[in-house]
Amino acid sequence: MKRFASVLLVRSYAAAVLALALGPALADPALAANAPATGAPKTAAVPAAAAPSTALTVEQIVEKHMAARGGLKKIRAIQTLRETGRMTEGPDKQALVTRELKRPAQSRFEITLQGVTGVFVSDGTKGWKLNPFDGDFEPKPLPEEAVREAAEQADIEGPLVDWKAKGHSIALAGRESINGRDAYKIQVTLKSGGTRTEYIDAKTFLRVRVDSTRTVKGHPVQVTATFGDYKKSAGVAFPRQVEISASGRPQKMRVVVDKIEVNPPLAADRFAMVDLSKP
Amino acid sequence: MKAPAVATAAVLLLAPSLLRADEVLLKGGAKFSGRIESQTDTMITINIGDGVVGVPMARVDKVVKGHSPLDEYETRAKALTEQDAEGWRALGRWANSQGLQAQAREAARKVLVVLPDDPEARGALGYVKQDGRWMTEEESYKARGYVQVGGEWMTRAEAQQVQASAAAEQAVQDAERRANLAEADKILAEQRADKAEERAREAEEVDPWTTMSPWYGGYGYGVVGWPSTATVTTRYGTTVPINKVNPK
Repeated sequence: MKRFASVLLVRSYAAAVLALALGPALADPALAANAPATGAPKTAAVPAAAAPSTALTVEQIVEKHMAARGGLKKIRAIQTLRETGRMTEGPDKQALVTRELKRPAQSRFEITLQGVTGVFVSDGTKGWKLNPFDGDFEPKPLPEEAVREAAEQADIEGPLVDWKAKGHSIALAGRESINGRDAYKIQVTLKSGGTRTEYIDAKTFLRVRVDSTRTVKGHPVQVTATFGDYKKSAGVAFPRQVEISASGRPQKMRVVVDKIEVNPPLAADRFAMVDLSKP
Repeated sequence: MKAPAVATAAVLLLAPSLLRADEVLLKGGAKFSGRIESQTDTMITINIGDGVVGVPMARVDKVVKGHSPLDEYETRAKALTEQDAEGWRALGRWANSQGLQAQAREAARKVLVVLPDDPEARGALGYVKQDGRWMTEEESYKARGYVQVGGEWMTRAEAQQVQASAAAEQAVQDAERRANLAEADKILAEQRADKAEERAREAEEVDPWTTMSPWYGGYGYGVVGWPSTATVTTRYGTTVPINKVNPK
């Protein structure tokens, strides 16, 4: 029986996508550490003279960011989310991807390539995968590291929403030019201790980039995700294009979100470990 | 010839949502989509367009039969002439939208027969243009000074850091393993001493052949205790997953 050639390719894809899948608000870079990626986009510090005279506090920036996304009321109204799109790494590697999120911390990710669909699921405290790309025909628990990261990232609305109530802390760390646009640089320390840097466009107040450090095979890797092509669904702005890169790697992984469904019905069993003992 | 090519492209763009494939759905939600080739009580085989996959029926939740994108691709491919580069281009794009990479590559190769320097078709086959010539992605990485470590391309500096981290991790694991073995040897020695003492005491009381533990010491992996379903302890005192002892 001929072994399907794309499997080897997809094994690395799946690992990358799994990381992508388990984070909030599409393509959380903190989970994309396994992603094949490339160097970070060019950035440059914005000279102090270029900054507006009316400086904003970090709280005000976050407030404006929430307003730009559509407002806290609409963001909090999101109970479930389904995103469907395409993931590419170079022109010759494309997979179809679907991600489903459900409060408080559930996620399900499916990747399809050459007629084969793998599934990765987490409820925020534990996770499992059914990954034919690894030759598996039955569910297996997710590695501890993946579950830990999933739990850290199991926040459907992102860490800046109600950051204080969630136990995170934030600080303004200056401004930078991201791809030619001025952006506020916010240092976020999660309740778990994890850190990330969020870049908020100084004009649109939408998130344009997130930097984080992840441990990959015991080695710290700087991961950068840039966001673009924002469009609103149910009154909330979502990025439709995400690009993920890692320090020192030439590859870039891109996700194009073709469809976003806000509050689709998602049954609880979509996030439950399948019971193989049942017929 | 331009008009027919455009018409072909339009049909291809409209068609995907109408298509359904043979689908083999696994318990747990994963699935295979393509063309079912055979099915028995124990095994089902499905052609996914890049090979044939055999799936144990015990793992199958259900089988749904339909007209597959793979069938559609083949039907449309047969309708194209070798010289219809735009037709092949449109078909390749459609195959890509269906996740049929092997077919997208095949279509790209057809385009290159007519247009050898076509950037889209070259890209679809993984070529990148560097310094004025086409090369594979890997060749371009090499040319730019990247090295491959664990399947990943990275800068030499990054590779050195990764390898240093891996070596450090390995050293920690080796030290832990040596410590565990030493501890296990110590425990085993104590157990042997205890057992010897016990046997000597029992030998004076009962027939030794009725009480000797058949799994103790020296058989196979030398199980010294009753194996659990999860792990067994080897004669070296290390605990290993049972699937390493009795691989399926």
